[in-house]
Amino acid sequence: MQNKFTEERINSIMESLGGMQPAVAPDFFYTRLKGKMQPASEKKTFLLLRPAFITATLGVLLIINVFSLLQTAKAPKQDSTVVYSKPATIESFATAYDMNTGSVYE
Amino acid sequence: MTEQELLFGLRHGEESAFKELVTQFQDKVFNTALGLLQHHTEAEDIAQEVFIQVYRSIQNFKGESLLSTWIYRITVTKSLDHLRSKKRKKRFGFLSNLFGDNNIPLYEPEDFNHPGILQEKKEDAAMLFKLIELLPENQRIAFILNKVEELSYREIAAILDTTESAVDSLLQRAKQNLRKKLTELPP
Repeated sequence: MQNKFTEERINSIMESLGGMQPAVAPDFFYTRLKGKMQPASEKKTFLLLRPAFITATLGVLLIINVFSLLQTAKAPKQDSTVVYSKPATIESFATAYDMNTGSVYE
Repeated sequence: MTEQELLFGLRHGEESAFKELVTQFQDKVFNTALGLLQHHTEAEDIAQEVFIQVYRSIQNFKGESLLSTWIYRITVTKSLDHLRSKKRKKRFGFLSNLFGDNNIPLYEPEDFNHPGILQEKKEDAAMLFKLIELLPENQRIAFILNKVEELSYREIAAILDTTESAVDSLLQRAKQNLRKKLTELPP
């Protein structure tokens, strides 16, 4: 490949960093640094109020609710041997538990 | 203030010690970050992050190396992490362009001019900095620490946790690579 640089030019480029002065930090560096450090601690304090945290919490609660509802809906189906033909009365309850023997005073 | 006094103050959360530390090291940290990142604003951000990291993890500093070595090491690590993250963003940059992103390009390639370069050498130095970016990571770090921050082989070896001869080898290879890249530049 044709090269546009002579050896002398290459040397000049290679030595271009010679005699350079180090860069100095911008003015008010410490003030800006303190400013950057301050919000970091404040943000931690108000974590509970951050929209991302609130949304995530509500999301988790919603998932728990839906899961609980699904579980509740499934529950009666598992107990399919019991037939609810009519509402329970005191008499039916007494019959079911064999409590129709009469009062002890009889 | 001696290094031991500085460390004592920092470990006890004294603001005066932290201010002293920043005053002592801000130029070194900024200059190193600027050499590696070749971007003023990013170098300032990284320099600030370095001091925040030092403030938070001073309790973990065991004193096995010099404080300056530890701070340089953090600077190099943070600068390289930033460059890697920048590269990752660049890879997915086209997606941002597809989805709008206010039509602001993520990267605007421009010639980097180090403020400490002599006026008559600015053009050559800008070209050299462009090629430095293409060097392998270790060679780039060694070259910047040696040429931009003017650290000795011993100091660079301590920062990179290697030997002085390894640093010498890295610098030789960096120079060879730069020369090679210069000869390969298209007309």
